[in-house]
Amino acid sequence: MRIIGEKINGTRKRVARAIAERDVEYIKALAVSQTEAGSYWLDVNAGTLPEKEPADLIWLIENIQSVVDTPLSLDSANPAALEIAIQAVNKTPLINSISGEPERLEKILPLVAEYNCDVIALAMDDKKIPATVEERMAIIDKVIAATRAAGVPDDRVYVDPLVMTIATANQSAVIACDTIRAIHEKYPQVHFTMGLSNISFGLPARKQINRGLLILAMQAGLDSAILDPLDRDMQAAILTTRLLLGQDNYCLDYVRASRKGLFEA
Amino acid sequence: MSQELIDAITDMREEDALKITNELLDAGTDPLSILDDCKQSMDIIGNRFEKGEAFIPELILAGEMMTAISDVIKPRLSESSGDEKLGKVVIGTVEGDIHDIAKDIVAFMLDINGFEVTDLGVDVPPAKFVEAVQQTGAQVVGLSGFLTLAIDPMKETVTALKDADLNVKTMIGGGQIDEQVRVYTGADAYGRDAMAAVALATKWIGDAENEPA
Repeated sequence: MRIIGEKINGTRKRVARAIAERDVEYIKALAVSQTEAGSYWLDVNAGTLPEKEPADLIWLIENIQSVVDTPLSLDSANPAALEIAIQAVNKTPLINSISGEPERLEKILPLVAEYNCDVIALAMDDKKIPATVEERMAIIDKVIAATRAAGVPDDRVYVDPLVMTIATANQSAVIACDTIRAIHEKYPQVHFTMGLSNISFGLPARKQINRGLLILAMQAGLDSAILDPLDRDMQAAILTTRLLLGQDNYCLDYVRASRKGLFEA
Repeated sequence: MSQELIDAITDMREEDALKITNELLDAGTDPLSILDDCKQSMDIIGNRFEKGEAFIPELILAGEMMTAISDVIKPRLSESSGDEKLGKVVIGTVEGDIHDIAKDIVAFMLDINGFEVTDLGVDVPPAKFVEAVQQTGAQVVGLSGFLTLAIDPMKETVTALKDADLNVKTMIGGGQIDEQVRVYTGADAYGRDAMAAVALATKWIGDAENEPA
């Protein structure tokens, strides 16, 4: 289960302030703490207006790379900013993201192919977020045809089946998990990822819901997720679910984590 | 006033609410009084939501109860009575952005507070906002956007409304919105939440009515 550490995101107020004020120590601390908590990638999102985004992204990348060598997940819809960012990273990045939107396939997929990146693929296009498994599959069919045509192997693709807010769409978790299952059956080499917190928008005790979704989705085949690696309850849920899914030989990861005190209050 | 009806609605008991509505009508209660109870109930629920004591699914259910009760009442309303709307608002999520939940909440709050709301949905191009204002005569336009890439379309929409010589006030809201963004887009105001939208619409339309002709 590969964790994408979500915290360096300029759409969050505190991080936005750090970016605006060039608060180097704050960003470095987030990079270090998320890495020590076991992130496989660190998501980097400058969250700023298009003219400032490239410079802000570079500033973030340089400071992160000065303290950790964790691969980065470059989170931007702006192809120009992405290209500049790809050239600034030390390790091959994960591109967050492409989708069925023609413009993204046209402008971002070539970067993915050229620089041998991993890529997150959203199961949506420019019309709206599809409500059914079949509609999402149709979009992923189109996206994977494009990634294959561009020479990107299936196992560099991380499909995000999309998670709608359950408060307004009661079947969202069921549909997200069914989408993972269906895509996994058709494209066995493809990976999956998910931003969990969307599920719980507008409801109380959001962490409970997010964690529950993680567990259900892991059973459906989720093998990476965008989350807060410092959330010990999430880490515990991942370990426990892996254990129960028979993915933890001799229960060693679980036992080791317990010895390190992960399950203590 | 029927406390029983208000309690049923605010407790989210849809079946009871409809049963009580029918009982009241059969007993000869003035339909306007029932509508008034509905408005009171909505105020209570809206307040609870703003305080974090009620949640989005309850707003949705409340909206459905309102529709169900209105459907029962409307045939009984005489022609002269009925909704006196405070004013007209056009609302939508701007082009390139499809986030809608917060916009829907704002539309709902405006509606229960007496405004006639035209909700254009999501990913709405500037031209469509202009057309909607021309068609409805709305005095207020609300622009919603969550992503940073919504900010330029907000600016384009505000400009398009000005270029079309329309006398409207614009308010923006969503993620990443602050005074700097407001100034950049040229909007008249920004709001942090649905109640701010209601307050702005009320003030602007009130001011417009008090202006000498």
